[in-house]
Amino acid sequence: MLTHDMSLFPSRRDEKWKYSDLRSSLSHLSDGIEDENKPNFLLPDGLTLEEVDCEFSSVKNISSTLVENYCNKAWKINVPKNFKSDQSLIISNLNSGHSRIIININTGGCLSLVEYHESQSNSFINTNVIINIMDKGELDRIIFHDDVQETVRISSAIINSGPNTKITQNTISFGSALSRFETILTASGENLNATINGAYLLSGNRHCDMTSNIELLKQNCHIRQLVKGVVKDKSSGVFQGKFHVHRPAQHTNAEMRHDALMLSDTSKIRSKPELEIYADDVACAHGNTIGQLDEDVLFYLRQRSIPLAKAEAMLTEAFVSDVFYSLEDDQLRENILTKIRGRL
Amino acid sequence: MLRINNLSANVDDGNKQIINNLSLAVPAGEVHAIMGPNGAGKSTLSYVLTGKPGYEVTGGEVLLSGESLLDFSPEERAAKGVFLSFQYPIEIPGVPTMTFLKTALNAQRRANGLDEMGAPEFLKKSRALAKELKIKPDMLKRPLNVGFSGGEKKRMEIFQMMMLEPNFILMDETDSGLDVDALRVVAEGVNKLRDPKRGILIITHYQRLLDYIVPDKVHVLSAGRIAASGNAEFAKKLEIEGYDAYA
Repeated sequence: MLTHDMSLFPSRRDEKWKYSDLRSSLSHLSDGIEDENKPNFLLPDGLTLEEVDCEFSSVKNISSTLVENYCNKAWKINVPKNFKSDQSLIISNLNSGHSRIIININTGGCLSLVEYHESQSNSFINTNVIINIMDKGELDRIIFHDDVQETVRISSAIINSGPNTKITQNTISFGSALSRFETILTASGENLNATINGAYLLSGNRHCDMTSNIELLKQNCHIRQLVKGVVKDKSSGVFQGKFHVHRPAQHTNAEMRHDALMLSDTSKIRSKPELEIYADDVACAHGNTIGQLDEDVLFYLRQRSIPLAKAEAMLTEAFVSDVFYSLEDDQLRENILTKIRGRL
Repeated sequence: MLRINNLSANVDDGNKQIINNLSLAVPAGEVHAIMGPNGAGKSTLSYVLTGKPGYEVTGGEVLLSGESLLDFSPEERAAKGVFLSFQYPIEIPGVPTMTFLKTALNAQRRANGLDEMGAPEFLKKSRALAKELKIKPDMLKRPLNVGFSGGEKKRMEIFQMMMLEPNFILMDETDSGLDVDALRVVAEGVNKLRDPKRGILIITHYQRLLDYIVPDKVHVLSAGRIAASGNAEFAKKLEIEGYDAYA
């Protein structure tokens, strides 16, 4: 058991954390660093929750290490073969301490997963989600993040996908003192079809880091990634994305985009898109843009009587909302857009 | 209605005087046209009147119904009823046309102390006008001007104009990019807006729009000032003789 060994926590000296200095952001916090948390689970009919021992995971990162140090148990959900439901698995109360959630989606099973990361306290929160998807399995994952400004949060999802799987992930974050959402996806089977989207809208001194690492081991995988960010005041946004295309992963078709809007001179955006490719017959692209609202468009709206602040809000909403156009659940999409509107 | 007295203006970051001691009066109920060669200051005039950032007024005044316009922000001028039909209407991805228009209409109503227009009344009014302008209903659901042809964009400007019912209309090169049929639809829309209480100023390169919207007066803008004025026949003379005599 480690007790506040701060050297455990990565700082800006660690390449993967150089834009999100976890160690220094924890210096003013004591709550949550050694606590084990029990999340709330709302299960669709047909799924059950199991309490299991917290074993070591194959992916070593700070989130896993902390969970393995401080937690005795993990929460495991088994999605049976060919499972389908119009209900979502809803996970909430991810509001303090460490939790590990293990989800196994068996052959042909489909899971809709919604996570609410909404803390009202200035504590440290670490959520470690391990998802294994078997042949023809499908995962639709939505992550809502809406903490108070003082919270320090890391969330790491370690996803392993088998052949012919489908993954759709949408993250919406409003940041906190430090928040980081990591997706570590290993495509161990061919024909993965994945969409990994996200948006962050930050104000005040908030910070949000969206980091993903996608390992493509087999052929014919199709990946689309679109992350959009808006920063104002003194907030800061980070995007780190990596596609690692291994030698057997021929006919990979992968596209990564990050577009950010800076609405103040004191806000920051840091972006690190990476492609590492060893296969020779692939289509991989990355794009990254950072800009401001277009003055001509703002003038057009103002010439139609729309006050400047409202015009800025309309254009900002339009900028981020296309991330969520592909959401099939109308109600959910409207909830996300309403949350976004409330922050503009 | 609109009175411009000795107006001078330049672009913020340049020293070049683009509008140079310009005076012009457009009474309510009249349609005036401003013609002139490239670089005469036609578009600058429309931007200065509507308050676009980046232009600096260095002298003179602009009065709308006796009230000085230059003291107000672009949105305040718009709410007072000054409408600019843009030479190049802007495309706004992600903002549906109807959302944009409802926001604009209700912002204008709020600024004038009126209650917001409810959805049923708004839909009824917009659908009727769209039909009149041969605008397909699905265009109103699409993001504003995105993927619209040149003619559709200009028709959308007229549609907005009819929805917002401005007191004073400025039309900047509305005929550019329009085929004859689109030109006729646009002109019919503008002619319907001719009203004893409303002034209209049309800025154009060519005379052909004026065949459809017959002006009460025609002015030549050259080197940032009004160089000559005449009646509708004067436009035809300009079309034949060119602007050289006024340079």
